[in-house]
Amino acid sequence: MNAPLITSSLELATAGVEISHLSKSFGSHLVLDDISMSVEPGSVTALIGPSGSGKSTLLRCVNLLETPDAGTVTVGSQTITAGQPVKDRDLLALRRQVGMVFQSFNLFPHFSVLRNVAFPQERVLGRSREEAEARALTLLERVGLKEKAHQHPARCSGGQQQRIAIARALALEPSAMLFDEPTSALDPEVGVEVLAVMRELASAGMTMIVVTHEMQFAREVGDHLVVMADGRIIEEGVPAEIMAAPKEERTRRFLSAVLER
Amino acid sequence: MGDALVAILLGLPMTLLVTAASFAIGLVGGVPLLLGLRSRIRFVRLAVRLVIDLIRGVPPIVWLFLLYFGIAIGSFRFNSLVAAIVGLGVISSAYLAEIYRGGFATLPRGQFEAAQALGLGRATTLGRVLAPQALRTALPSMATFLLSLLKDSSIASTIGVTEMVTAATVFARQNTATAGIVPFFLAAAVYFALSIPVAVFARRLDTRLRKAL
Repeated sequence: MNAPLITSSLELATAGVEISHLSKSFGSHLVLDDISMSVEPGSVTALIGPSGSGKSTLLRCVNLLETPDAGTVTVGSQTITAGQPVKDRDLLALRRQVGMVFQSFNLFPHFSVLRNVAFPQERVLGRSREEAEARALTLLERVGLKEKAHQHPARCSGGQQQRIAIARALALEPSAMLFDEPTSALDPEVGVEVLAVMRELASAGMTMIVVTHEMQFAREVGDHLVVMADGRIIEEGVPAEIMAAPKEERTRRFLSAVLER
Repeated sequence: MGDALVAILLGLPMTLLVTAASFAIGLVGGVPLLLGLRSRIRFVRLAVRLVIDLIRGVPPIVWLFLLYFGIAIGSFRFNSLVAAIVGLGVISSAYLAEIYRGGFATLPRGQFEAAQALGLGRATTLGRVLAPQALRTALPSMATFLLSLLKDSSIASTIGVTEMVTAATVFARQNTATAGIVPFFLAAAVYFALSIPVAVFARRLDTRLRKAL
């Protein structure tokens, strides 16, 4: 597949993400235990760890799909403090800055591919239909799916749907992107198409937090690797260094388990 | 038999009017009830749930009697047609609210989350993202409900609305010697003939929507 130049039409205004003393429980189960983490503007942080370690929950706290019990989340200049009532306006402002890509794509099945990418722009950014659709077409072209514009998502493969989901998020010009296991529902050869788009986005300087089991991607694209277990960060640093010589026993066990798959 | 059929068909417009009007009330009235069921305020959810269960827990014929014979405010009383339409309309609202709710319940959680993550507002998320999908899943049940409402409209005859069953009864009484049970067979045939297109339409719709999603 040709490397799509998704980003040449994007004006990237990237922002950093700052997570400070974040805690979250589901009932009596502590899912996030005093997590602090800093993501530099324009950098890529890969978040790995066994299932149930809290990495997806952490990601979902960044755009408040989950409400943290304690701590703060800052994206760019927007800070949300747990426990304080969040105004709808601030919540929308934060979500406007952060794009999210889900494991299960979550395209809107009743809209065409084009409308999936254009509709949120009209509602969130107040763009006219013409402008939104023109921009959607450009983005779809860049992810190699312009010819699918007038079909429904159900007619697209998983890899295509995920690339459309990325285009949908990018169309809102986010200053950071969250990826929640974006290739886990895909066959490996299809996942490659999605990873290619993500690589390009990273090299264009998008701030990205990626929950993933793709170790090669984490090593090659990630600037920073964060290893989680039992709701805590057990190790973090340069991806290649951690993978070559993990300091923690839990990290070693996890890495060998993932690499042996 | 020709006379009987003519007599029954004279009741047909009233049957269709009661069915269509009460269904229309239900289509609209189901929406606020649905919003109540999905309210962020616990008290509202409980209150609406209670209202819906109350409406559904009492037989339609009893509701019509209560409305028609039971409500007398000063000199105001419902006439039989209005009582039938209002009564069946309120009942339809409750059932359709449940059908709408069922449509929403089948939506994957990811649809709601994607809309949230994109920063779409509450009204847009509900109206443009969730409702159209919920409606697609709800349509076959709505058609099934319309079918049962068509038949239930016959209970309007008990409070004196001159629809098909009333027409059949009257004709049978006036022609006791000759008519026998025939008027009711004819009424049955007309109801059946009306229900076929709705049923076929519902099945087609169902197949098409299954393919589309």
